[in-house]
Amino acid sequence: MKNKLQIGTNEMFNAHLLFFIICASQVGVGVHGFQAVIYQYAKHDAWISIIISFLVAYLSVFMSLKLLELYESDDIFGINLDLFGKYIGNFINLILVMYSGLAFFAIIRNYTDVINAWVFPDLKPSFIMITLMILVLYAFTAGLRTIIGICFFSFLLGLWIPIALIIPLNYANVNFLLPVLSADLVGLLKGAYYMTFTVAGFEVIHTLYPFIKEKEKAKKYVSLGLFFTMFLYLFVMIVTLTFFSGEQLERTIWATLSLFSNIRLPFLERVELITVCFWMIIILPNLCLYAWSAFRGMKRMANISEMKFILGMFLIIFIGSFFIETRSEIYDFNNKFGYIAFVIVLFYPMVLYLIALIKKSVSKRRAGKE
Amino acid sequence: MKKLIIVIAFTFILSGCAEQKILENISLTTLVGYELEDGGELTSTAVIRQINQDLESRVEIQSASAITSKWARTKIDLKTSKITGSGQLRVVLFGEKLAKEGLDHNLHILKMNAEVSNAIYLAIVEGDIKELLEYKYKNITDIGQHIYQLIKQNIEHHHALSSTLHEVNRDKYSLVKSYALPVIKKEGENIIITGMALFKDSKIVGQITADDTMYIMMIRERTHNGTLQLELPDSALDGLADKPFDQLAIALDTIDSKPILKLVDPSVPEFDLTIKLECRLREINADIIVDTPEKIKKVEEEINQKIESELTRIIKYSQEVNSDIFNFGERFRARVRNVIVDKEKWYELYPQMKVNIKVESQIVRDGVFQ
Repeated sequence: MKNKLQIGTNEMFNAHLLFFIICASQVGVGVHGFQAVIYQYAKHDAWISIIISFLVAYLSVFMSLKLLELYESDDIFGINLDLFGKYIGNFINLILVMYSGLAFFAIIRNYTDVINAWVFPDLKPSFIMITLMILVLYAFTAGLRTIIGICFFSFLLGLWIPIALIIPLNYANVNFLLPVLSADLVGLLKGAYYMTFTVAGFEVIHTLYPFIKEKEKAKKYVSLGLFFTMFLYLFVMIVTLTFFSGEQLERTIWATLSLFSNIRLPFLERVELITVCFWMIIILPNLCLYAWSAFRGMKRMANISEMKFILGMFLIIFIGSFFIETRSEIYDFNNKFGYIAFVIVLFYPMVLYLIALIKKSVSKRRAGKE
Repeated sequence: MKKLIIVIAFTFILSGCAEQKILENISLTTLVGYELEDGGELTSTAVIRQINQDLESRVEIQSASAITSKWARTKIDLKTSKITGSGQLRVVLFGEKLAKEGLDHNLHILKMNAEVSNAIYLAIVEGDIKELLEYKYKNITDIGQHIYQLIKQNIEHHHALSSTLHEVNRDKYSLVKSYALPVIKKEGENIIITGMALFKDSKIVGQITADDTMYIMMIRERTHNGTLQLELPDSALDGLADKPFDQLAIALDTIDSKPILKLVDPSVPEFDLTIKLECRLREINADIIVDTPEKIKKVEEEINQKIESELTRIIKYSQEVNSDIFNFGERFRARVRNVIVDKEKWYELYPQMKVNIKVESQIVRDGVFQ
């Protein structure tokens, strides 16, 4: 297969780092308030929806890894070109690049909104965006290894956050979880569908795959990463469900942050303010990885330098942010983005794998005939 | 070089843009009291603490009326030299008149504001709020801090039910929509907690005395380190001493209790409530020497009977006012499947609910002298 990427060993990274990359890329702005949306549909069985959504995610990851294994050392952009030819392939690649750009936008817009709502009501969103973009610029221009380093530190530095959530468990009321399985299947599936925005992130594996040193170990670490985030989300969800009463949760926009606002430490009264600001470290790897994936895809289509690409992308996103400004617009955008993510992240790799399998068997048969 | 200049320029331009809140330049509202005026306006009285450059703090009390609480705060700002911040708000008091009208709206305002912590305490004031706050008490220097400590200390020692904003809001949006707030009152040179006010649908419907708080807690949840005073009937322990008593009071402390609730009949609904209780016999008449297991058993039986009758009385009272502060509603919903229980239905069911109470007490120790 002709599009094979040539990557020097000095650009590669060890497979075990995939664990941190998957965790860091999945945990992002979605965690702030995913509970209320899922609760709307799955009620107090929302935690089952999380398990369902992760099962689907795992299936999708499994298929994409199989697909990438077929091509040995190529990313999803190369596979598209190989399977669909230059024009259609490039068109699909453009969609994928735009998806990465949208994901970047979704993260940065949601985060600025949280900052505005919780900490600084009159800080200009553009100011927060520029600050974040400078940070991303630094990591992006330094290359993949720096980005992976950020993933690692973001994971380690963020470990205190789930531990702090043990304190709200003091208010836990198990009755809110009972009776188990009272929601109908449609509700559970709808809840799982709305998890997409929060589960998405692991698709970076599609672009990262050629850079992994020990490719045979990739599956193990990606699965570990997925399981870790699943348990994290389950934990957060169960704390939330036992902490809030039904209608209260539906009315809470950022349930996780509201959990934090009940914690009062002797030396720190308002933990949620620290958490909100600290979240910058959590979303930084997401932003870097999406910017990087977008660049990898763009490079296939046009010969463009890193600097030009990233500045162009920032400009478009910056201008875009003026069109989506209010809370309701952001909410609307998140829902639409969730739909796009559902198709591209969970659905598309499976289809692509099937097409690749068919193509392979056809070409094999042809080779056999000759 | 060019890059470097840009980065340095940005660090100067962008740093320090965020809102600054310097302690000496703001005053902190530690307590707010709301009361409804005759014209429908809301009077808010704020206890404001100011810290000047010499690190001396000064307490100031200001009040203003407006239709919205935010505007009342703005009016208070018109009277003070420093802008007030509500991030340090610890207690919110409501007047009786407002409580009769309903607290729904005011609770919602508090929840909407991200600056207000979820862990603030709420309480009701018997009598005039302004009078309570503005009076110059002999032994109280900072009234905001004093009321905060008063409520906090008593909640921690089970003399009052916990009434943080989160818990009240949780119960407000739960199925039963009933909650209880501590009632405070000015009595001479002191501020005292007189009991708990019971709410139904955010309106005050009844009141219980501070003596009964412990019983509510025992039904609601596990308790640790509680205290009770029991007045046993005249002839209860006659066999244990040489002469009969006119009146026999005993006191128990370090009560660890655990309620076990079973739904016997969902149609009534009927519950079996068993409360297992371990305690220390703290005070008993000097003529009674409880040294043999039989005698202890006898005392325990009397305690069981007395507590059972008290619990029955309190449940009956709450059924009369139809305020389910014990959260039987949530427990009922958690135990029945496929039965839609909503607020109206529960209001209908609750007064006819039957609870069979059984107390199993155990005196673990009785001090160091028999």
